Amino acid sequence: MITLRGLTKRFGRTTAVDALTVDIAPGRVTGFLGPNGAGKSTTMRMILGLDRPTAGEALIGGRAYRDLRHPLFEVGALLDAKAIHPARSGRAHLLAMARSNGIPARRVDEVLATVGLDDRAAAKPGRTLSLGMGQRLGIAAALLGDPPVLMFDEPVNGLDPDGVRWVRQLMRLLAEQGRTVFVSSHLMTEMQLTADQLVVIGRGRLLADAPIAEVIAGSAAAVRVRSPQPDGLATLADRLTAAGAIVEPAGPDELTVTGSTVDRVGDLAYELGVRLHELSPHGASLERAFMELTADSVEYAGVPSPAGETR
Amino acid sequence: MTATRIRPTTRSAGFGGIVAAEWTKLWSVRSTWWTLLAAVLVTAATAGQLAIYAANANTNDDPADDRGIVTVGSIVIGSMELTQYAVLALGLLVVTSEFTSGTIRTTLQCTPSRGRVLLAKAVVTAAVTFPFGLLLGGVGTLVAGPVLGEWGSAPVAGTLRDLLAVSAYLALVGVLALGLGAALRSAVLSLIVLVATLMIVPLSLQEPDITLLNRIADGFPGVAGGHFMAGDTEPYRAAWGLLLLAGWAVAALVLGRAALRRRDA
Repeated sequence: MITLRGLTKRFGRTTAVDALTVDIAPGRVTGFLGPNGAGKSTTMRMILGLDRPTAGEALIGGRAYRDLRHPLFEVGALLDAKAIHPARSGRAHLLAMARSNGIPARRVDEVLATVGLDDRAAAKPGRTLSLGMGQRLGIAAALLGDPPVLMFDEPVNGLDPDGVRWVRQLMRLLAEQGRTVFVSSHLMTEMQLTADQLVVIGRGRLLADAPIAEVIAGSAAAVRVRSPQPDGLATLADRLTAAGAIVEPAGPDELTVTGSTVDRVGDLAYELGVRLHELSPHGASLERAFMELTADSVEYAGVPSPAGETR
Repeated sequence: MTATRIRPTTRSAGFGGIVAAEWTKLWSVRSTWWTLLAAVLVTAATAGQLAIYAANANTNDDPADDRGIVTVGSIVIGSMELTQYAVLALGLLVVTSEFTSGTIRTTLQCTPSRGRVLLAKAVVTAAVTFPFGLLLGGVGTLVAGPVLGEWGSAPVAGTLRDLLAVSAYLALVGVLALGLGAALRSAVLSLIVLVATLMIVPLSLQEPDITLLNRIADGFPGVAGGHFMAGDTEPYRAAWGLLLLAGWAVAALVLGRAALRRRDA
């Protein structure tokens, strides 16, 4: 369980994270979404005690990270896959981590095997590791202490399709084992496949904290209606417009309806006796929901006005 | 995923584990070995050079006069003026390389207590530089002795005392560099500050030979360490020189710890 209470981080006059209050529950994968610069990495760094919050607190199992004596048994984290000394082998990197927390050396071999790094790859110096190998090493590091809480910042960056699938399965498995899995990504499709719960932030503020299905359903998706009866279609369009929906012709026998739902359009068609050949949700995706949620934050971030960042 | 649950092993968990981690990190990068090799070469070269100077300066063959015989130990001590930079580079690298490579975040993730991390680094730095100082002293003695020839003397007890003093000096200067590196984060900046503190500032203060300025210079770590190694009785006893230098090292550690705690990693 990760608990954020009014978590705030200001750098000078810029507020990177703004009074974030969220509970990240065990037993499921919680996706952490936000546009670039939304404060995702800063939030994760504060959870790990690397950055000091300006206000509020971040707790893991009720305790602040800086108070943990053997933190690798409590939290495993992958922050930056490139954070390995260029001349140090991956194995030595993990061994040093293990020793610091009194983890037996054989556990290093176990996690290396888990992430699919063989002896040769583990012996290579950090500078020669590919981004994908770095990610695997970072995930191995996170698993060292077999912790109940795991955090991954952009874990599939640089992985090949096989690796992406493997990370997805690993996240699911870790959550099924009852662990708290908190993972940030900018890949919407990846999130849609992996996450149960979503935490969305923009400009440091909480925009959504809900099950993923709810977030997607909340997007103003369109409904596509196709009918061989032009008159019936016109009547349907009128009634929908009267009900506040926006109706646009998408073809000679097709309408695109926004501001309504598949259920409502279907019910109305039944009521009017209009024969339908197609009734489908259109464009309902996490990507769309995300764009809508973060539209304001992105808009502001893109304006280079000098007044943009001051409040 | 393995089903085995891992628990801290009682043997190495705690501070010993943190020291073991730092030890592993130090010896798993090749630059450590290069730094030590550089220190050996610089010691050999400097001790040899100083010995040649000492031998050449002595031209008085009249045995009734003071023939200007120097101890080999004093040559080794003199060579530290230069050699110390190769050794304190080790203390610097232990911490500044963590900032350059970003591994400081991993280190603090493993051990959130900044004070314990820095203390473990200090233990490892001292544990390496002290015995290494003995090795350097041995190298310096082996080079300076033959070069000095008849102009040198090497009483066993005195030489041993000199070599131990050199080791203590190098260990403390290494820890001083470590603390400063933690506070300043940049190796280059730290090195500039160290060269200024150990050499440039006290030398400038001593230049006009004004008593007050000389006294101030005596408070600087390099000068204090020099008085300690030379076994001086003036302006203060050698033991006070050691304490002064140790005080500087501790102050640097305290400064480094404060910086690590206050600043975001």
